[in-house]
Amino acid sequence: MSRFLPLIRFEMVKVLARKKAFLFLLALNVVPLLASVIALLIYVKLKGWGLGGFEFSVLVEMVRGLFTAHMVVFAWISPFFLSLVIGDSFSGEAGRGSLKILLLTPIERWQVVVAKALAVLVFLVVAVALGGFFLQLDLWVARAMTESPAIRWDIQPTSTTLVETAAALQLFVLSFLSHLALVGFFIVFAQFSESPIMMAFVSLIVLMTMQLYVLMAPHLARLDPRFGQVADWCFTRHLSKLSSIETVQGILDKRLSLGHPDVWRPMLDSLGWAALFFAVAILLFRRKPILN
Amino acid sequence: MTRSEGNPALAVRDLRKRFGRKEALAGLHFTVPDGAVAGFLGPNGAGKTTTLRLLLGLVPADSGDMEMLGVSMPAHRASVLEQTGALVEKPSFLDHFSGFDNLWWFGSLNRPVTRERVMEVLARTGLTDAAHQAFGHYSTGMKQRLGVAYAILHRPRLLILDEPTNGMDPQGRVQMRDLLREIHAAEGATIFLSSHLLDEVQRLCDYVVIVDHGRTVREGYVADILQRGRETWEVRVAEGQADRAGALLPGLPGVLACRAVPRGFEVALEPGASGGVNQALVGAGVTVTALIPKEASLEETFLALTDNGGDPA
Repeated sequence: MSRFLPLIRFEMVKVLARKKAFLFLLALNVVPLLASVIALLIYVKLKGWGLGGFEFSVLVEMVRGLFTAHMVVFAWISPFFLSLVIGDSFSGEAGRGSLKILLLTPIERWQVVVAKALAVLVFLVVAVALGGFFLQLDLWVARAMTESPAIRWDIQPTSTTLVETAAALQLFVLSFLSHLALVGFFIVFAQFSESPIMMAFVSLIVLMTMQLYVLMAPHLARLDPRFGQVADWCFTRHLSKLSSIETVQGILDKRLSLGHPDVWRPMLDSLGWAALFFAVAILLFRRKPILN
Repeated sequence: MTRSEGNPALAVRDLRKRFGRKEALAGLHFTVPDGAVAGFLGPNGAGKTTTLRLLLGLVPADSGDMEMLGVSMPAHRASVLEQTGALVEKPSFLDHFSGFDNLWWFGSLNRPVTRERVMEVLARTGLTDAAHQAFGHYSTGMKQRLGVAYAILHRPRLLILDEPTNGMDPQGRVQMRDLLREIHAAEGATIFLSSHLLDEVQRLCDYVVIVDHGRTVREGYVADILQRGRETWEVRVAEGQADRAGALLPGLPGVLACRAVPRGFEVALEPGASGGVNQALVGAGVTVTALIPKEASLEETFLALTDNGGDPA
């Protein structure tokens, strides 16, 4: 453990030092940030100009809608980010030779796999939380302006809380666990190539093909029910379910929780895939000859 | 892990490794005594770097036994690497990290390291001014220095270096040689280094392992290896007697080879035969003006022992 924690810190520093991480943060958060600021400006300016406008409660609903969209967009773009960062972290470092330096330390190889995975997962959760924080900040600013004696508009007090703590925590746990399988999937692919671009390209093609199959499965099942049965085993199906608007909205509305069968069943399936991917990845990485 | 007294620092027995159809190591065996400065020599493709990779657990062996610091590898990999500093091929640190940050982060994965210690090894390898420069902007020689700095960071008991002076200018090579001597003297580290520079190995090492085609062809203390088999002398004779001396020399007892050089002859003799050769020449009326011993070189031994003399196969 005395070496494992510094290793995780090191891997996190490496993730943050990559331009890809900055671009991902920008791509993920620029839309909710801009949209919420525009909503805030419209909310404030319309009233200020005497053009009517809308109540604070409407602004809250708009921002909550943005948060749901933010969570769903996150699930869509995270595979692209993951493929690039994991490709860089394993294939790129193996190709450039810095993996060799890492493996000349007394660190165990399984620790390298786990530390790299943890670093990127923590970054993902922080990235998605950052978007949520921007949106919450938007509401706080709007409320502060609303409550200002100079411009007190709303009569009905409305909560400024974007997401309740319990729901937020559940969403973060969901994001973390649902991405475990995805991270494991990319790490397995990274063992076969020393070119990060090639690794990202091939793994994304495979992932998209699987997802396309899952989408087409209901139609194919009309031809043969076995097409549908195979699709049930695809891990992308579980991920789609976990990151769907229904699931996110359900948790926000308290209709669903992590303990609900509609959530924990796909989550359990997804964790099963994650365990398999990580076992294969560690097995491959332990035997991988480091030649560069 | 503690090092058992009397154990060799490195022991390799019947080590085999195959890459596809190519047999990189074909039953390699050697032993490096504890506390030695050992050179690892061989032509290109002889299996030197493969051996180092296997020793350090970067590549799995097909078969054979390896012991480092008295314990088997790779079974005790972590405990061995705690006490081993290594540089294998070109050092490839993170390009966008500075030399200092690379040493600090990678070094912290062995055991906690202080900023003072990092600066100390950077100073010892002549990289103080470049400490905060990105590794990607380093020259080949500077990268090599940083690799050596990393290898010595934790005061290892065993230092394994693959071509440590590769890409360095002559001044840098001398500095590196002095640094390794200093580390060996002050910290008692066993040093095992592979190099193509035979004169460098001869100047620095007291023990040598020579490999070719994945097999050990000779190992032992440098002094023993150089004295084995033959001595080389330069024989100078009075003016006008060169033809006569040239006709006599090849047939004299103890003369293994003879060739004309600008001021006389260079003769390879059996050990201890020089006195007899001198007497025989004088007895035949040849005036010997000088009999000069030529220092035996590792290069001659290396060329005699290996197939292609170090040229790429």
